[in-house]
Amino acid sequence: MTQDTPAGHPSPASWAAVAVAWVLVGVPLLWGIVITFRKAALLFTLPGT
Amino acid sequence: MAGLLDRERIIAPPGYNRWLVPPAALAIHLCIGMAYGFSVFWLPLSRAIGITAPQACPADAGFFQQLVTVTCDWKISMLSIMYSLFFFFLGSSAAVFGGWLERVGPRRAGVAAAFCWGGGFFLSALGIRTHQLWLMWLGSGVIGGCGLGLGYISPVSTLIKWFPDRRGMATGMAIMGFGGGALIGSPLADLLMRRFATATSVGVFETFLTMGAIYFVAMLCGAFGYRVPPADWKPAGWTPTVTRRAMVTQGHVHVHTAWRTPQFWMLWGVLCLNVSAGIGVIGMASPMIQEVFGGRLIGVPGTLADLTDAQKAQVATIGAAFAALLSFFNIMGRFLWASASDFIGRQRTYAVFFLLGILLYASAPSAGRSGSVALFAGTLCVILTMYGGGFATIPAYLADLFGTQFVGAIHGRLLTAWSTAGILGPVLVTRIREYQLDRGMPAAQVYNTTMYILAGFLGLGLLCNLAVGPVAERYFMAESELLALRGGK
Repeated sequence: MTQDTPAGHPSPASWAAVAVAWVLVGVPLLWGIVITFRKAALLFTLPGT
Repeated sequence: MAGLLDRERIIAPPGYNRWLVPPAALAIHLCIGMAYGFSVFWLPLSRAIGITAPQACPADAGFFQQLVTVTCDWKISMLSIMYSLFFFFLGSSAAVFGGWLERVGPRRAGVAAAFCWGGGFFLSALGIRTHQLWLMWLGSGVIGGCGLGLGYISPVSTLIKWFPDRRGMATGMAIMGFGGGALIGSPLADLLMRRFATATSVGVFETFLTMGAIYFVAMLCGAFGYRVPPADWKPAGWTPTVTRRAMVTQGHVHVHTAWRTPQFWMLWGVLCLNVSAGIGVIGMASPMIQEVFGGRLIGVPGTLADLTDAQKAQVATIGAAFAALLSFFNIMGRFLWASASDFIGRQRTYAVFFLLGILLYASAPSAGRSGSVALFAGTLCVILTMYGGGFATIPAYLADLFGTQFVGAIHGRLLTAWSTAGILGPVLVTRIREYQLDRGMPAAQVYNTTMYILAGFLGLGLLCNLAVGPVAERYFMAESELLALRGGK
């Protein structure tokens, strides 16, 4: 089944659901990355770097 | 309840937005990725009885006594056996249950993974409460390990079918989550342990219960977010390349046939060697930067052995910061390299991993000798992107060679390469290190030989990758076989 008809295209409302889903997984991941960078920031304050 | 989990119930309706599937996959992978962060529990657990300091077991306490003792604390070496259990059961369960996953669909497998991983945390919490190490190994290591395998492969086949135009990017997004799980889980566990710690408890029991509940709910949400595309679905406006590339098949190889092909075993070697080399570097990274640069890391002359305890503690903090930085590059590599493989091809992507890898592994000792922390750290960061990229690109490589019908199950079987590398890699690196130290080599130089040996691993991996060619026609399923299989679902 090739969904190349307009009916096969995602509805505009579905993009809101996509945004919510990505925020739900993205926020914790971003939190983890920020904390990791805070820890790693020490490396960039080394003498001579 | 059973109907809710059936594959037929999760076939997406027309107009379903395929971009909803990667976050569902990420939700599961971000949870199981905490397996990498379990070391955050070792120190508190090593003083679960002594509370302020470890209560050492008698010198004559045997292995089995340590598993059931309630009077003395667990050693970190005993606790860290958990990693071997993780790797072993991840690969084994993925290999054993891969075929089942293809039959029942990703939702049922995702729910089973949630029960195993979340339930494993609860059983481990009981083990911590009663101070029974064997229960903790059984909970998180064995049952949780099976959850790792099921959760890891659950979205692979589905994502590849939803994104035939961007197979690498799609699986890269999910597998990036496995690398990112510890970035969330470790600081969360740290926060919770501090919150729950009292004068009579290190707070790990309550932390396991809380995290088990969080992971269980998050994984169920992910599993219920899975949708499979109808058979032969294609994105609107997309048509497969008319000029078929030799390394991208349009046919399908059955999982029971795939492992009989030389291509499967060449890819097994590719993954095993890439992972062994990467695990070697991950294990060595923190001590390596400390021993290679010593006092220079804190602006003090001298080697690590010349420093005071306070200075060594400062250097150790920098080592931990370096390990954190590497984990970030490991994650980024998963997404970026897998996405790049959609454009440059899987075989070329692995050729880059191995060729650039050999160059970087072999030049890491020179980067250390040059005295430049930035150059040394940069070299290892690029190496880690390729370690992560290796994991994330392999499902798309398999789909290109063997087709998409059984790619989840074939991927599951290939993950035994990861189990093998996860157990053999660290053992090999430790043995090489001990051998050299016994022969009187200075600690700072011990890593050089290890890096050259790991570069040799990559050389072998390159040969395996070069030996991968298109799968012979006789291995592909006949059209009637495929129709019968799809009709039977």
